[in-house]
Amino acid sequence: MIVGQQKSMAEIKEKLGPFSRVLLLGCGTCVKTCFAGGEDEVATLAAALRLAFRKDGKNTIIDELTIERQCEDEFIKEAAAAIARNEAVLSLACGAGVQMVASRFGKVPVLPGVDTTFLGVLEKQGLFTEKCLGCGNCIVDTFSGVCPISRCAKKLLNGPCGGSRGGKCEVNPGTDCAWQIIIDRAKESGQTDRLKAYIPPRDWRTSYSGGSRQLYREDHVI
Amino acid sequence: MTTTTLTWPSAGESFREPQAAGRRITIFHCASAIGGITLSEDNSELRTVNMPCSSLTREVVLLKAFEAGADAVVVLVCPEGACHYLEGNIRARKRVAKVKKLLDEIGLDGRRLNIYNISPGDRSAVESIIGQTVSDLVALGPSPAC
Repeated sequence: MIVGQQKSMAEIKEKLGPFSRVLLLGCGTCVKTCFAGGEDEVATLAAALRLAFRKDGKNTIIDELTIERQCEDEFIKEAAAAIARNEAVLSLACGAGVQMVASRFGKVPVLPGVDTTFLGVLEKQGLFTEKCLGCGNCIVDTFSGVCPISRCAKKLLNGPCGGSRGGKCEVNPGTDCAWQIIIDRAKESGQTDRLKAYIPPRDWRTSYSGGSRQLYREDHVI
Repeated sequence: MTTTTLTWPSAGESFREPQAAGRRITIFHCASAIGGITLSEDNSELRTVNMPCSSLTREVVLLKAFEAGADAVVVLVCPEGACHYLEGNIRARKRVAKVKKLLDEIGLDGRRLNIYNISPGDRSAVESIIGQTVSDLVALGPSPAC
C-alpha cells in the first residue's frame, strides 16, 4: 500500500484559514488502511476543525466526503457536486490522488492534507514499513526476497558493506541490515551460491530519476 | 441486581440555573463499568452515553460531544485487565490520549477530557469523578468553542 501520514493540525488549519467553506475529501483505499485519510479520519479531522474555527470566532463550514479512490476518474466524478459547492478541497489522499483531483477540478484549490511517505506493508499492529521504491526492475528473487534498493541504506547490490553491528545497519542503527537478512535467508534455503554472482551496475532508466513515468496498457484500451 | 440511581447534583446548586453554564459534562460510560448505577439526566447540564463497550469511544464521538456543547467529557471504563471484551478499555485509553492532544493543539485544553477506570457499581467513585470534573471546570471555564 501507499503509506502516508496526516499533516499536523496547525498546518491544515493554516491552509484552510482563507476559506469560509471547505470540503474534506477522504480516500477509501491506501490512506484508509494506514489511518491517514479514510472516512474515520475525515470525520475526526472535520470535528476538530469545526471546534478550532469556532474557538477562533470563524463560521467556517466543513463539508465531508470520502470516495473509494482519488486516483481514478470513475470515483472522482462522484465528488463533483460536493467540490462545486465548496471554495476549496482538502484532499486526504496520497500525492497521486491529490494531483488527480486537482487536474480534474482545476478551478477549485485542492490542498494536500496528507504527507505521502512510502510504498510499504503493515509489518505488525501499528507499524508500517517501507519495502519498495518503485525502481521499475524487480529482482528481489536474486536477494532471497529482500530488496536491497529499498532496504539497504547504501542500496548495495553486491553487499554487505561490512559496517553492520549485531545485524543492525551502520547508517541507521534502528533498522535491520538488509544484507544480514538476505544472507540469513539464503542460508536457510541453501542458496548462498547465488550471492557469489556479481550483480552489474544497474540501469536506472526504469527508475524515478527521469520525471514522471507512464505505463500504457493498450490491451485494456477499447 | 440492585439498581442505584445516581442523580446530579446530589446537593447544592442546581444545574438548571444560568450560572451553571460552563459546567456541561458529557459522560461516556461502559455498561459493564457502571454496573447497577443509573446516571440520571435530571438536569440540562449532564449528558450520558451508554456504550456496550468502551472500545466504542472513537475519537470522532468524543469530539462530537464537544461540538454539541460539552465543557468537559468523562469516559468511565472497566478496571485494567477486567474489560469484558478484553481490550476495550485499552483502546479507549489510547483514543482519549489522542483526542486530549488534539484538544491541546486546537486550543480547547486537553484537561477537559478524562478517562477513569471504575469498578462496577462503585457509586462513590462516580460521584467523586463528577465532583472533580465540576471542580476542574471552575478553573477551565466554559469551552471556548461554544
